[in-house]
Amino acid sequence: MNALRRHRALTAIWGAPRGWRGTIVSVNHSDIGRRFILAAFAFFAIGGVLAMMIRAQLATPGSAFVGPDIYNQLFTMHGSIMMFLFAIPMFEGLALYLLPKMLGSRDMAFPRLSAFGWWCYLFGGSILIAALAMGVAPDGGWFMYTPLSSRAYSPGINADVWLLGITFVEISAIAAAVEITVSILKLRAPGMRLDQMPLFAWYMLITALMMIVAFPPLILGSILLEVERAFDWPFFDPARGGSPLLWQHLFWLFGHPEVYIIFLPAAGVISTVLPVMARTRILGYGWIVAALLAMAFLSFGLWVHHMFATGIPHMALGFFSAASALVAIPTAVQVFAWIGTLWNGRPELKLPMLYLLGFFLIFVIGGLTGVMLAMVPFDWQAHDTHFVVAHLHYVLVGGFVFPMMAGAYYWLPHFTGRARGGALGSAAFWLVFLGFNLTFFLMHLTGLLGMRRRVHTYSEEMGWTWLNLLSSMGSFVMAFGFALFALDVALQIFWSRRTRRNPWSAGTLEWASPIPTPAYNIASLPHVGDREPLAAQPALALKLARGEGYLAEPRHGWREAMAVESTTGAIDHIVVLPGNTRLPIVTAAMTGGFFLSLLFGFYWLAPVPLALVVVLAWRWASVLGHREDFGPLPIGHGQTAPIHREAAGAPGWWGSAFLLVADGTLLASLLFGYAFLWVVAPNWPPPARIDGGFLLGLTAAAASLAGVGLARRGLAAAEARAPIAAGRAAAGAAAAQAVCIVALLSLGVTALPAPETHAYAAAGWALLVYAALHAAIALLCTAFAGARIASGHVSGTRLLEPSVARLFSDYSGAATLIVLVCVLAPAIAP
Amino acid sequence: MLWAFGFSLLYALHGIGCAGGWDEVAMAGATLFRWALVGTWCLLCLGAVALMRRAWAAPAGFERGLGLVSALAGLAAILVTGAPVVLTSACA
Repeated sequence: MNALRRHRALTAIWGAPRGWRGTIVSVNHSDIGRRFILAAFAFFAIGGVLAMMIRAQLATPGSAFVGPDIYNQLFTMHGSIMMFLFAIPMFEGLALYLLPKMLGSRDMAFPRLSAFGWWCYLFGGSILIAALAMGVAPDGGWFMYTPLSSRAYSPGINADVWLLGITFVEISAIAAAVEITVSILKLRAPGMRLDQMPLFAWYMLITALMMIVAFPPLILGSILLEVERAFDWPFFDPARGGSPLLWQHLFWLFGHPEVYIIFLPAAGVISTVLPVMARTRILGYGWIVAALLAMAFLSFGLWVHHMFATGIPHMALGFFSAASALVAIPTAVQVFAWIGTLWNGRPELKLPMLYLLGFFLIFVIGGLTGVMLAMVPFDWQAHDTHFVVAHLHYVLVGGFVFPMMAGAYYWLPHFTGRARGGALGSAAFWLVFLGFNLTFFLMHLTGLLGMRRRVHTYSEEMGWTWLNLLSSMGSFVMAFGFALFALDVALQIFWSRRTRRNPWSAGTLEWASPIPTPAYNIASLPHVGDREPLAAQPALALKLARGEGYLAEPRHGWREAMAVESTTGAIDHIVVLPGNTRLPIVTAAMTGGFFLSLLFGFYWLAPVPLALVVVLAWRWASVLGHREDFGPLPIGHGQTAPIHREAAGAPGWWGSAFLLVADGTLLASLLFGYAFLWVVAPNWPPPARIDGGFLLGLTAAAASLAGVGLARRGLAAAEARAPIAAGRAAAGAAAAQAVCIVALLSLGVTALPAPETHAYAAAGWALLVYAALHAAIALLCTAFAGARIASGHVSGTRLLEPSVARLFSDYSGAATLIVLVCVLAPAIAP
Repeated sequence: MLWAFGFSLLYALHGIGCAGGWDEVAMAGATLFRWALVGTWCLLCLGAVALMRRAWAAPAGFERGLGLVSALAGLAAILVTGAPVVLTSACA
């Protein structure tokens, strides 16, 4: 097959229809990545306009531009949009677009999940923006502290919009995190060992793992607060044993790692772009990876530094102050590696480099003020002032926006196939750089002079007038800079001349594909033996286009990619990916229907979209798979490999495992909350504890364990090619889970006090509902495995469905036992 | 991992100890609270040293280097972030 015929055949398999139909059904990672990036930039523009309105209000004392109610919505939505609708989705988009290309693959591991995440993000973000347009946007600050956000002080729909809208968007973030993790660990070019991965992939892997652990506490906090607002379960009400500090813990358990989740992808861009600009290789690859790991772990030990002023004892403050100062060290390791790379190379001051230099100055200042704020006595002085606003903008704009703009100029030729022309990009840089520093450097001084955050006005006597006026002028200069950037990008997309492949002479694999990239990325997959494959083999791109790599011959209309052993990069199996489908958009719409039902208080309606989501999930899983074994298939270079359905450790299994890690973090957060309330909250012990319920508890535990045992037996029987026994075991496992659900809910109804009476009862109920929900998920998984066994999709070699069902059953069993111990323990405690 | 576990353990023990009044129980020249936290901190430091030795004994390669540096970083982190158990007041 010649190159042109191969291109046509692969495009027919991997491409999407033109027009609206293609927009709706495409699951291709390049399409989804581009959409994320464009939408995130649109949300950035909206957030920027809100910021300009904030600065217009604060430009002069006693301004009547907006009143306090609107001002509250402005700063809340500015923060929420920039964090949840711009920063995270922007890097998700970049990761989705770039990772398969950089790793020498054809797509991400779960293309439909990418598309589902995109639609959830779009619908969730639209809910928030619609609320803003209707004047009912969230107004309690981007961290929604209780009791301000509780029903008593925020009676409107505003806080619900935040809690439900953000949770909806977070589904997209968790989906992307699982997707990115599995794709990096499994879907790499053959031969690419872990220590040969591009650093960008390392950064994305660590970031995705951090998201899997960091987002569940926020999701849990949002659920608990929404349940308190909707049904009066008093998790955060101190009069009934709750604690507003629990919200702060749950929020910042997410919130501080979030800062690193935003910074690390941008640092990945720096580690990719900077060596190319310096015309050398990155210095200290291994040290950077080690620093990344250290940073990821330490970032989970900093959250209380956002709570230094809440009256926490000195020793606890000491733990978090020390960790906050310590995290500067791995950050510095990276910064010194970058400086060393520049020193080692022959840097060229091209446009991406200019933005990187801007990053260095701004981010280092932000880091240093961060160390100042990590010191408790200083923090007490500067807490909740504009000094903190200045610090966080130096860190986030310096640490994210500048590197992303460098990345934008670096990869734009890849996206567009066109070269950059003119000097608009440099002018945009100087406007943004000078405007930013004028706006935020002065804000340090305004803060030190005592100006609080979130105040909508101030009097002239305070002496802040000229600082605020200059800050506001700076913000408008910066906005012009961003507008110029957008114009420059538009000019490049529509009017610039075509450019050649790999215009920067970079060494990473994304430049091996033709630009703009075809739907299938590369005509055949490379064997990688170097961190910079294009530098090691300059003719690699042409060889791959000629079909001299793996999977060069299309077959069966399958979308094929290679999966490798995670550490060594040895060939593992062929992954057959799903094609275009409407399922993601329909499932996201139903998920949105569920959230909207809750938002408008139609709780009776909520089960309908939820049931439809379950039906769609069933359909989602059932449209894949085969009723026959294919055996080892040729992959090129005289080698063969089985397809993923006939191999152990398929991406679906790994994805389920990482999803359960996120789920386990949510349970751990719930248990932390339960323990925190027992130990720290006022008005404990509760007026009434659990009364009996041991028999029901034993029934639930026995049923859950039976479910686990039967799911395992089903898998073993399927492996032993005994489909009738396997089907019976799966049906038995599903029935056992049904018994478990009934027993758990009966335990709550008959033995626990009513959940509105005290936070103890509410937390106990939350635990029981969690366990029952997971028993329901295990029930569905085992029932689905049974149906697949009956339909002939499972055989002695095709074991994916029973393996995943066993995973969920095991998790449900462990969760049920832990929950029962926690719920029943107070009955026997003194 | 050990640091994350140890850090959570120290913070949890701090909360439980303060709630349980351990700082008012005199014991061997200090308080039950102080001994519980200092003892835990020392055990965590020993654990980190043991992990370093294990990383040192691993076969040469990228994974060994990564494990060794991570273990060293973990030990330093436990030493520094746990130091307040001997330096600051207990529950005030």
